[in-house]
Amino acid sequence: MMLLSQGSMGWKLKSSLYVITGAIAAFLALPIFFIVALSFGSSRWLVFPPPAWTLKWYEKFFENPQWMESAMTSLKVALLTSIIATLIAMPASFALVRGKFKGRDYLYSLFTLPMIVPVVIIAVAVYGVFLNLGLTGTLFAFVVSHVIVALPFAVISIINSLRLFDKSIEDAAVICGASRLQAIIKVTFPVIKPGIFAGALFAFLVSWDEVVISVMMASPELQTLPVKMWSTLRQDLTPVIAVASTLLILLSLFIMTAASIARRYSNR
Amino acid sequence: MFMTFSREKWREGGLLLPILLFLCIFFLIPLAGLLLRSLTEPTFGMQNFEQLLATSTYVQVLSNTFLVAALVTVISLVLGFPLAWCITLAPRGWGRWLLSIILLSMWTSLLARTYSWLVLLQTSGVINKVLMSIGLIDQPITMVHNLTGVIIGMSYIMIPFVVLPLQACMAAIDPMVLQAASICGAPARTVFFRVFLPLCKPGLFSGALMVFVMSLGYYVTPALLGGVQNMMLPEFIVQQIQTFLNWGLASASAALLIILTIVMFYFYLKVQTDSPVSTNTGA
Repeated sequence: MMLLSQGSMGWKLKSSLYVITGAIAAFLALPIFFIVALSFGSSRWLVFPPPAWTLKWYEKFFENPQWMESAMTSLKVALLTSIIATLIAMPASFALVRGKFKGRDYLYSLFTLPMIVPVVIIAVAVYGVFLNLGLTGTLFAFVVSHVIVALPFAVISIINSLRLFDKSIEDAAVICGASRLQAIIKVTFPVIKPGIFAGALFAFLVSWDEVVISVMMASPELQTLPVKMWSTLRQDLTPVIAVASTLLILLSLFIMTAASIARRYSNR
Repeated sequence: MFMTFSREKWREGGLLLPILLFLCIFFLIPLAGLLLRSLTEPTFGMQNFEQLLATSTYVQVLSNTFLVAALVTVISLVLGFPLAWCITLAPRGWGRWLLSIILLSMWTSLLARTYSWLVLLQTSGVINKVLMSIGLIDQPITMVHNLTGVIIGMSYIMIPFVVLPLQACMAAIDPMVLQAASICGAPARTVFFRVFLPLCKPGLFSGALMVFVMSLGYYVTPALLGGVQNMMLPEFIVQQIQTFLNWGLASASAALLIILTIVMFYFYLKVQTDSPVSTNTGA
């Protein structure tokens, strides 16, 4: 009778475990499938199963300049966030992995601190400063505040890939006459590129999905997709939100797949 | 290795400069400013903290925050345990499938998932209809804009954060230990409670602490699925700032939340380094 191999487990325990697990897995998957199904449903009142299937909510979404604008803003903010977070995280990761100075662990904790501090506190703190400077509602405010929460993801991903890289290969290039910078660009960078790419993708996703900070930073003129969803949600539950949600889910799925492919590639 | 010591040091400083500058200007200084505000606004002193801990409505918010966080932690542990166990047991392919369901739900837009629960749980929603059609209830029950809604929505979000550390912990347990126990004559129940469960403890602890800390600071889900009656600390902070422009009280609550989070996180790190898992896997 072993509890860690299914062959020798009692059938009663085994079957009840599988049933419970199935139920919980369904519980986890349910909202995602439900929302996608609803976005194609014809009922304004979100009846399920819907009386008929339609694309009219998608038309409404793509016809409405507000939804499109906020989607474009989201894309712009997420792209800028991802680029800036990666550019800041890259040199820092090199210093942390290669450096021999004291306090590297503390610095690592500092760089990942924005992941631990509740987002609502970061939002309120940054909002306080930007409000005084009259910067809320600007692209700058969005990007800067998103970079704060995206940085840990970029740092962790790049550091992990750099740790796996064998530095003696780079040293070999230096011995053969390359400068350190050349060696890094021509030898190290191509190898750790998937890790950097994954870091950039996660930073993108964090920004793309960020609600709390964005709600504080937003203005009527400039808002991201989650902000538009948030303010619409406060009024009613229109199926157009299901469309926006489905698009968010699709992008998350796409980025997750891309990141896992990049990771597999880097672990080879 | 080919550079002089001092030059190397200078270079490291240069590499760290962008991130340090960025975090100082946009993260640490605003954070410090916020914490300072709790002591200086409107006048210098501890009055904000006193007010926070003496006014019954505010105490209600605090106790509600802890209640929700504790309930969510317990529920996600109870639901996460069989899931983690099953992933450990299942043949490779099935385990992968279960893991990818968990990862999918973790990385899917938070707002999308919360909206989905809002629709699922509403009085005329699918869940009420199903419950009524199978005859469990006669009248639709109110499941959103109250504690039930928050607990369901939050537990759903937190389950993956229990499953992942717990599964890693279970995978590191040597099945031989359990076999030894049963060879020595222990019945299944005893093996489970006296051997298996204690070995899972590090995973359970780190999962529980993680979920508890995250639940304390969650804003979106409680704000959308909860009611006015059971507001949580993050929503209270935003409300104090956006509606009442009361920066002093908001900052004091923020300070409280940060201290709680950091203390809990310190314990989290302690549990993690002491766990047999992290030493086994070298992580």
